[in-house]
Amino acid sequence: MLNILNSILVEGLIYAIMVLGVYITYKILDFPDLSVDGTFPLGAAITAILIINDVNPYLTLLVSFLIGAFAGMITGIIHVKLKVRDLLAGIIMMTALYTVNLRIAGKANVAFFSKDTIFTKNFLTSFFAEGSEKVIRLVLIIIIILLLKLMLDAYLRTRSGYLLRAVGDNKTLVTTLGKDMGFVKIVGLSLANGLAALAGSVYAQKQGFFDITMGTGMVVIGLASVIIGINVFQSFHFVKATTAVIIGSILYKGCVALAIGIGLGANDLKLVTAVLFLVILVFTQEKRRKVNKNA
Amino acid sequence: MKKFKNVTSLLVATTLIMTMATGCAGKNNASSTEQTKNSQENVQETQKENSGSYTIGIGQFAQHGSLDNCREGFIEGLKEAGIEEGKNLTLIYDNANADTGTAAQITDNYVSKKVDLICAIATPMAQSAFGAARDEDIPVVYTAITDPVAAELAQEDKTPKGNVTGTSDKLPVEQQLQMIRELLPSAKKIGIMYTTSEVNSAVSVEEYKEKASEYGFEIIDSAIATAADIPLAADDLISKVDCINNLTDNTVVSALPIILEKANENNIPVFGSEIEQVKIGCLATVGLDYYELGKQTGAMAAKILKGDAKASEMPYEVIEEGSFYANAQVAEALKIEIPQDLVDKAVEIFKTIEEN
Repeated sequence: MLNILNSILVEGLIYAIMVLGVYITYKILDFPDLSVDGTFPLGAAITAILIINDVNPYLTLLVSFLIGAFAGMITGIIHVKLKVRDLLAGIIMMTALYTVNLRIAGKANVAFFSKDTIFTKNFLTSFFAEGSEKVIRLVLIIIIILLLKLMLDAYLRTRSGYLLRAVGDNKTLVTTLGKDMGFVKIVGLSLANGLAALAGSVYAQKQGFFDITMGTGMVVIGLASVIIGINVFQSFHFVKATTAVIIGSILYKGCVALAIGIGLGANDLKLVTAVLFLVILVFTQEKRRKVNKNA
Repeated sequence: MKKFKNVTSLLVATTLIMTMATGCAGKNNASSTEQTKNSQENVQETQKENSGSYTIGIGQFAQHGSLDNCREGFIEGLKEAGIEEGKNLTLIYDNANADTGTAAQITDNYVSKKVDLICAIATPMAQSAFGAARDEDIPVVYTAITDPVAAELAQEDKTPKGNVTGTSDKLPVEQQLQMIRELLPSAKKIGIMYTTSEVNSAVSVEEYKEKASEYGFEIIDSAIATAADIPLAADDLISKVDCINNLTDNTVVSALPIILEKANENNIPVFGSEIEQVKIGCLATVGLDYYELGKQTGAMAAKILKGDAKASEMPYEVIEEGSFYANAQVAEALKIEIPQDLVDKAVEIFKTIEEN
């Protein structure tokens, strides 16, 4: 039981990095960004190649973030400068990244079990007894996600962060302030896809390999986690949205683990996901309608 | 009032559709009850986990004929060694439907349940299992991996990189090329279609390219990304080649009927890589019997479970000698005569094309 809990937390928290990104695009910018399906494995591919070439595993996190952010920037430019619709811009980038990822990794599956990763060699090992790899892994991921959350919270309080929020909420305000809305969108997309690639990097290091199919369904997982998180906690005002979506990601993984655990079988997983998704969506619509009536 | 009418008609329509659906369902009733029974059995098996003396988690990466054969062979191999489901073995079976994320959750689940051994079918599943089980020291036995060395599961000398061993389904490429030469003495160009996301296929295509010239062939490869690309890619490939050679590529195999249909229209022979493909209409193959491969894997797993051997010390195994299968109906349609020496060697020549 403890083991299952550990694996749910580890999986959920790693995906939560990507979920923070999806939160920025979907919830703040109101931009359904599909490029995440490509940037998640992009981070994994970069990590696999760098680690095989003995680059410091922590450095791969930074490189993955930067290259992912670059990919997000291109999605933004396609949307803003070339005036392609948001959904299409994401699809174009996702499709292009499939080839890019294959080119970076060289082949569809690259393993690096024998190499050092952030999980095998880190500063935490000296604090824990031998044989507690799983605990160390969890603690390290918690540290990473907490750092990222605090950084994102801090960013959202800056001038640029306020503008980001305004683009989703009140477009006129941004224009009135004389700010370029397109530029703000590009910044948001970069940030989101940087986070997705970072999640891919951490995930690949946990798994010990990169596989081209890794990104399939990322957007769905991301959106589901954001929606679960936001809606479960919408009446608790003291819980920040960033915290809520992280917990949403854990809850999502928990549901999947539960489905496997009670013997539903992987074949039924997608349907379980879809139903869960629908139930939560319908549930939120109810609430919103009530708010409108009251207003 | 008008609105009310609409609602009523909608209701009537819904009822009608429902009746139709139930009517249809009636015909399939037998098979669906069977399915329910099966899934109930599965649940029961999972529940009585502790009563058996061994528990094995079988994780299969995708649903596909050869991999299913592998799994059945594996269970048979265990049975031959005295480890039988229901007696002293509890089996948990999961399929990842070709999704790496699901594969990871399946293997994590096995590790949490502390199974005695994980059987992983196909490369990404084996890698997930190895990654998840290495901290817990649960042995992993894999099968249907073309290149365990490239997958970082074994060293160059076939010895394992950890508590992991199994069998490889590396294709007998040279024997296949030789067989194609015998059947088609004047052919020059062999077309091969493969999916870029499948490492096994890329490895095989490289090997074909390397060895084709020895037999006077040239390989024309056609890389696809998804199953949706297959019809167009097949048209293009068929126009360029004298025959098509099919690999064990999961995506391409699942759409094999499309390729066969187009090839038949143009009188282009299609060679297979294993028995199932010949059954459904490929001309011939010198290939693997995945059932046998699974059995060999099952025997290895039995040794590990009984404590006769350690996974970390067993080199991975391959089936060296391919078996020749042919389909007489396809040969007749293409007006190709199978030489007597091949007929003598054949493990089986199928008389008809199996509908699937």
